[in-house]
Amino acid sequence: MTNWVAIAFFLLFSLWYLSFTATRLDRLHHRVETSWANLDVLLQKRAAVALEIARSDIADPASSMLLTAAAYQARDAEIRNRSQAESGLSGALGLLLKDSFHLSTAADNALLTELSALTDKIRVAIAIHTDAVTRTHFVRGKFVVKVFRLAGTAPLPVTYEFESDVL
Amino acid sequence: MLTGPLKIGIVCPYSWDTPGGVQNHIRDLAEFLIQAGHQVSVLAPAIDENDLPSYVVNAGKPISIPYNGAVARVLFGPVAFARVRQWISTGDFDLLHLHEPAIPSISLLACWAADGPMVGTFHAAAKRQKIIFAIGPILEPAIEKLSARIAVSEAARLTLTDHLDTDAVVIPNGIYASRYTDGVAQSIWQGNTIGFIGRFEEPRKGLSVLLEALPVIARFAPDVRVLVAGPGDSAEVMEGIDPQLQHCFEFLGKISEEDKANFMSSISIYVAPNTGGESFGIIVAEALAGGACVVASDIPAFDDLLGHGKYGALFAAEDSTHLAKVVIDLLRDDTKRSELAAAGRERGQSFDWSIVAEQILSVYEMSIVGSEKVHLASDTRSWSRFLSKDEK
Repeated sequence: MTNWVAIAFFLLFSLWYLSFTATRLDRLHHRVETSWANLDVLLQKRAAVALEIARSDIADPASSMLLTAAAYQARDAEIRNRSQAESGLSGALGLLLKDSFHLSTAADNALLTELSALTDKIRVAIAIHTDAVTRTHFVRGKFVVKVFRLAGTAPLPVTYEFESDVL
Repeated sequence: MLTGPLKIGIVCPYSWDTPGGVQNHIRDLAEFLIQAGHQVSVLAPAIDENDLPSYVVNAGKPISIPYNGAVARVLFGPVAFARVRQWISTGDFDLLHLHEPAIPSISLLACWAADGPMVGTFHAAAKRQKIIFAIGPILEPAIEKLSARIAVSEAARLTLTDHLDTDAVVIPNGIYASRYTDGVAQSIWQGNTIGFIGRFEEPRKGLSVLLEALPVIARFAPDVRVLVAGPGDSAEVMEGIDPQLQHCFEFLGKISEEDKANFMSSISIYVAPNTGGESFGIIVAEALAGGACVVASDIPAFDDLLGHGKYGALFAAEDSTHLAKVVIDLLRDDTKRSELAAAGRERGQSFDWSIVAEQILSVYEMSIVGSEKVHLASDTRSWSRFLSKDEK
């Protein structure tokens, strides 16, 4: 009799644990999606600001060309190539802004402040997203998750290797 | 990007009416957010229910447990859990901000109970403990629910990555820097004075290190005076001091905020000899903002705060001879002292609430994007989704 109770208890617990882990994973997938959407929006904005900078007086024609190309590349890149393209844009922006602070007018200054505010936000967004992705990878690597296919059909999130020090 | 005022629920793990860094931080943050037009409700344990500000909701009487080398007054248990759930379900919050969610407290309970946008702030800095192997699997699923994590210092961030294998954004503690910038120098506190503020009876605050260094300092600067402010029993400390040096000591008791500002702008040197257990060092940030020349032990938190010695002098922690040497050098060199004080004053401004709260708000913003409001978690969410899919 006690054996049966123990077995029933064990089964119930396993069921609860499976459901619990599935919920946990579901929540993580959801977080990866939202944090990516958030990061994506911010990066798109940055590309737009970069294009505007390219058209303004801050940039000379040569760096303007470089910046425009980098911004378009960043916008069009697929998620797997995204980090490389964005790093390229960061590099182009860094190159231009390193020695252009002396010739800015009020309007240009507004652009630059917007850019630096965006950069700060992007840094936080990257941290949030990377964390969500690592956690998801970690949980998906668990034995229970693999055996019972708790991840279902959700795609494995792509690690976004943005070097934040390039920003 | 934020559209309109938010409804924010903040959970304070420690008893509201005992003084402490986390409680002060939450009080200042809540008041700043309310001033900025947001709606804030703070859930905190409290001993005395009558003395709470209007934005604080009492969660019950705290119990004392030993934690991280000190006694923490926290609250948990089934009754507290029910209160937390009720607070969440009736609060209709856009976002929850949980402080110190990795210790057994109502913060952890809230993290278990809620679903939706949640931000966690980690204050503590501690060495890696073995116990984490046992409690890690319990904590991990809860901590994972936080959509963003904030650490108050690099030291706190390292503690978090060490213990729970997850990263955080570093946002320092805030101070009202402007309150400290216009302190008026008081002549009774001027001269060769060394200041110390804090609960001096606690060994980790390191007053004993300063006491040991004093005989050496007094030999080189006979007119040196040590001003100690903060709650505690001064008679007991006095007994342990060499009678010949007792005249150098002055205990001011607990001083007001205004006096603190005056204090910082009067004294020659502010000493923070803490031996450890400090994660950020709010008093050091205040000393910097107040324009005092700061000498601090080189524990990670202070090293970081003082920019590795750029904004204040550092000495090897618990090494009283080194402390004496650093203090004597500074007392003799007026230009170096004022240079450090000026650099420190500017550094102090960067911890002003206007800047810090802006950073916190932008983290809020990112956690809210694309999520629904905070609601009670039910572990059956995946089931109900599965079932509703079937119905289609």
